[in-house]
Amino acid sequence: MSDPNGPIAEEELHAFVDNQLGPERLPAVQRYLQDHPDVARRVGAYRGQRDALRAALGGVAAEPIPPQLNLEALIRQRLAQRRTPWRAAAAVLLAFGLGGAGGWLLHGGVPAPTGIMTLLAQQAVANHVVYTADRRRPTELGADQRDDLARWVSNRLNHKVAPPDLSADGYRYMGGRLAATPDGPAGLFMYDDPQGMRLTVFVLPMNAASSRPIQHVDFAHVDGCAWIDQGVGYTVVGKLPPTELKRIAELVRAQFNGST
Amino acid sequence: MTVSGVLTRIEACIPALRRYAAALLRNREDADDLVHDCLVRALDKLHTRRDEADIRAWLFAIMHNLFISQLRRARARPAGEPLDETHEASMSIRPDQESSLLWRDLLRGLNQLPVEQRAVILLVSVEDLSYAEAASVLGIPVGTVMSRLARGRERLRQMIDEEAVRPALRRVK
Repeated sequence: MSDPNGPIAEEELHAFVDNQLGPERLPAVQRYLQDHPDVARRVGAYRGQRDALRAALGGVAAEPIPPQLNLEALIRQRLAQRRTPWRAAAAVLLAFGLGGAGGWLLHGGVPAPTGIMTLLAQQAVANHVVYTADRRRPTELGADQRDDLARWVSNRLNHKVAPPDLSADGYRYMGGRLAATPDGPAGLFMYDDPQGMRLTVFVLPMNAASSRPIQHVDFAHVDGCAWIDQGVGYTVVGKLPPTELKRIAELVRAQFNGST
Repeated sequence: MTVSGVLTRIEACIPALRRYAAALLRNREDADDLVHDCLVRALDKLHTRRDEADIRAWLFAIMHNLFISQLRRARARPAGEPLDETHEASMSIRPDQESSLLWRDLLRGLNQLPVEQRAVILLVSVEDLSYAEAASVLGIPVGTVMSRLARGRERLRQMIDEEAVRPALRRVK
């Protein structure tokens, strides 16, 4: 950017000190410093300042971060204040644990699921967290439009699917919606129990034609059960004990298998 | 951009923000309060972010603006007036360390610089911001960054020379 042999500017000396000097000017500056010992001494002092400041202040950055600056705690406080424009995303993030993908575990010493099951469960939990948190409009089509929703979702998923009926087990069908994932559209059906606890059933056609048995998935703040039947992924997500989740997952699975 | 990507980047910047704040302010508690306010403000403004690229400079800019408005609110002392001595005690200097004398003098000298020179020196020398990044953090042209850097460093050098901490640093003329 500059003439390799042009005169040396004061700011180039500082760029030299800060290792920000372009390589094309480095030889000229080094020559200049050799020829001008007084300037070299001054530049050396600046370097010394820089090194000493870094050393003197380094300890602060090496300290553990105090609790009041814990980012996850700050996000929780923000969420509690209900004025965070990215509420939904933050809620998802907390569900996964800050930092994302690594935050989930399987119960019972089963090897952690990878790949396809991870994708399925993450999408299910993300949509669960976003839509169940919505008090005013958690569903796109309500319980009274059950058949419309079934048609809509079946068309978009290119896979016949209807909201399972869990009323006999105390879960009232609230409605559902089409959900978005990186793998394409998914169906989301929502239920609640008399205490207002919301449960979702998530259906996502996967690109693989494999099947996987029901697995319990445990995120930081919500649990679920995921499985794959003939290339279609299913997940039941809710704040329920693992045994109850598993029971519902088996009911849902039986209903889906009966309807296809 | 992903929110989690941005948050991870923000989290990674917290140690540097604490260091910068500690060097700008009188004591560590005030410094962490400033970092806290900076993080809260950043979370408020998170939805305005379009990318993760310059998160660090963005955070430093938020913190610097908060710092400047604090100074104004507190009817800040005129630029260049020395900060009080309690600062050193709360700095992370360990007296057993060989270089601590030089460090102490250096930090005392730094605190005697006008705040705008101090900020430039810290952002460039310690936080490794490029001159362009420092300019955007401080909301000034790059040329002004350079002149503040040059003036600040030269003044610091003279102060340390006068302290004659080390013979090697004594001015030779």
